[in-house]
Amino acid sequence: MSAGSMLYFNVNDGFLEGIVRGFKLGILTSADYSNLVQCESLDDLKLHLQTTDYGDFLENEPSPLHTTTIAEKCTGKMVEQFNYLRAHSVQPLSTFLDYITYGYMIDNVVLLITGTLHERDPEELKEKCHPLGKFDAMGSITVEQTTADLYNNVLVDTPLGPYIQGALAVQDLDEKHIEEIRNTLYKAYLEDFDRYCRTLGDATYEVMHQLLGFEADRRSINITLNSFGTELEKEDRAKLYPRLGLLYPTGIRTLAEAEDPDSVQAAVAHIPTFKELFSQVGYDEDKSLEDAFFEHEVKLNKLAFETQFGYGCFYSYFKLKEQEIRNIVWIAECIVQDQKSKINQYINIY
Amino acid sequence: RDRYQRRVRGCNRGAMGSKDRLPIFPTRMGLAALKQKLVAATKGHNLLKKKADALTLRFRAILVKIKERKEQMNPFMKEANFSLASTKFVAGENVSHLIIESVEKASYKLKIGYENVVGVHLPVFETMKENQSSKLDLAGLSKGGQKINKSKELYIKALESLVELASLQTTFITLDEVIKITNRRVNAIEYVVMPRLQNTIQYIVTELDEAEREEFFRLKKVQAKKKKDAVAKEIQRARWLEENPEDYDNEDTGGRDLTKMEDEDVIFD
Repeated sequence: MSAGSMLYFNVNDGFLEGIVRGFKLGILTSADYSNLVQCESLDDLKLHLQTTDYGDFLENEPSPLHTTTIAEKCTGKMVEQFNYLRAHSVQPLSTFLDYITYGYMIDNVVLLITGTLHERDPEELKEKCHPLGKFDAMGSITVEQTTADLYNNVLVDTPLGPYIQGALAVQDLDEKHIEEIRNTLYKAYLEDFDRYCRTLGDATYEVMHQLLGFEADRRSINITLNSFGTELEKEDRAKLYPRLGLLYPTGIRTLAEAEDPDSVQAAVAHIPTFKELFSQVGYDEDKSLEDAFFEHEVKLNKLAFETQFGYGCFYSYFKLKEQEIRNIVWIAECIVQDQKSKINQYINIY
Repeated sequence: RDRYQRRVRGCNRGAMGSKDRLPIFPTRMGLAALKQKLVAATKGHNLLKKKADALTLRFRAILVKIKERKEQMNPFMKEANFSLASTKFVAGENVSHLIIESVEKASYKLKIGYENVVGVHLPVFETMKENQSSKLDLAGLSKGGQKINKSKELYIKALESLVELASLQTTFITLDEVIKITNRRVNAIEYVVMPRLQNTIQYIVTELDEAEREEFFRLKKVQAKKKKDAVAKEIQRARWLEENPEDYDNEDTGGRDLTKMEDEDVIFD
């Protein structure tokens, strides 16, 4: 950590880092969650949320609340916070924050492409996009008829352009399955983000490298596990693994050869973290691998706040906020569907 | 009133005490025809009653099945909905949007078949799986794939139980209609058609009997009159013989010309 970065960090970004740490204190704690799980109805839930940082965000909703409304409003609050930070930031923090949105942009683009190919109403599609992933050319995506046109006219100008250029040839866009496109883009995104963080200095890079690496590993493992029994070939699958993370390069090679879940477990066993995660799944009936991944992710994100003078805390804050929204929606669904026994399967953060 | 008119106006329901019967002319042939009709009506009545009983039995059985299916469906739907929530937890809120947008055509179609029960055509629904493109196999490739597949299976199970339930319910409704109709017909035969036939038969029988009695009486009367005439003639002849004893051989009754003789009618005067 160079002295210079420590000295000058607060000049540009100290204010916003303070704000983010303030936001972080508003994340729901286990006490809040234990209040929420005891609610009998969504109105109770709304009442409890009013005492947290969320405040009156559900005030104007008509009486029978739906879980989708709650999800939308919570996401809206998160987007507000993000936009505040983004508006007040200067370089290079503003680029960093932009990078955070590229992930959502990829999801939106995939949704729009699929919808357009199947001739759905463009207005509806736009409403279903994630708000953090909005970009200017969104409207014109729905006008294009084939993916080649799409690429030539629209995507090339968006921030996702270089990912498409580097990773896919134009004719591939048409042939390949949409999920492959999504994963290829995401792989390019992760690698690019990692490269960018390297330029931001050690404080940021230490934290981000670990987080992005874990995300890459998790995706590789999931892709492998989910591709058994489908038409995705091993070579194609190998092309989707990001070149990042603890599993790169040796673990990736073994993963590419894996034929069934047991060989996947064997392939990652040389890394203690994953060995631990897989054994947790074997031990506990209700817990799935995804749950174990979520828990580990939360742990890593919490660690990011232990450092200072780096941008890692911004990224982590939004990931934790996302997890919190997932938890709230889960609890709301369990209440509505009368499945109190499963309600405790949320991931506790603080 | 004229006897003829009285017979024709058989169907006089309005007046009290007079029975409901068919307006036909009372003849023996008519009687035979009516007796045939009565037999046919009785047979028809029995058959319809049997049909109604069989349908009612089937109806009760379906009722039990429907109750069972409804109870079963509840937990299926609950599980399926919960698995959707669980999928959204892992794969993000938009996963359902993505899947909905990428569907081209229905992969589960409904086929309507017909089952024949005691002559009633009951519709039966069957699901038919049409192999959709494997595009959706890779949904949730990087996260949530397993949960999505599990959701898919649970929803398929719920769908199948819904289709069965729908099938049973349509059968229930159709059967209900048919049973009502059949029962109406049974009752109609039992309480309207057969009594009418029986009354008409009874009426014809009484009329015929009466006519016979009348004829008999008339015959008797004619015979009595003939006897009286014969007796009067005898007396007249005896008196004539008394007055003209020498014309004993010249009776006007001698020397019959057979060709010019007319026999006296016995019945018709």
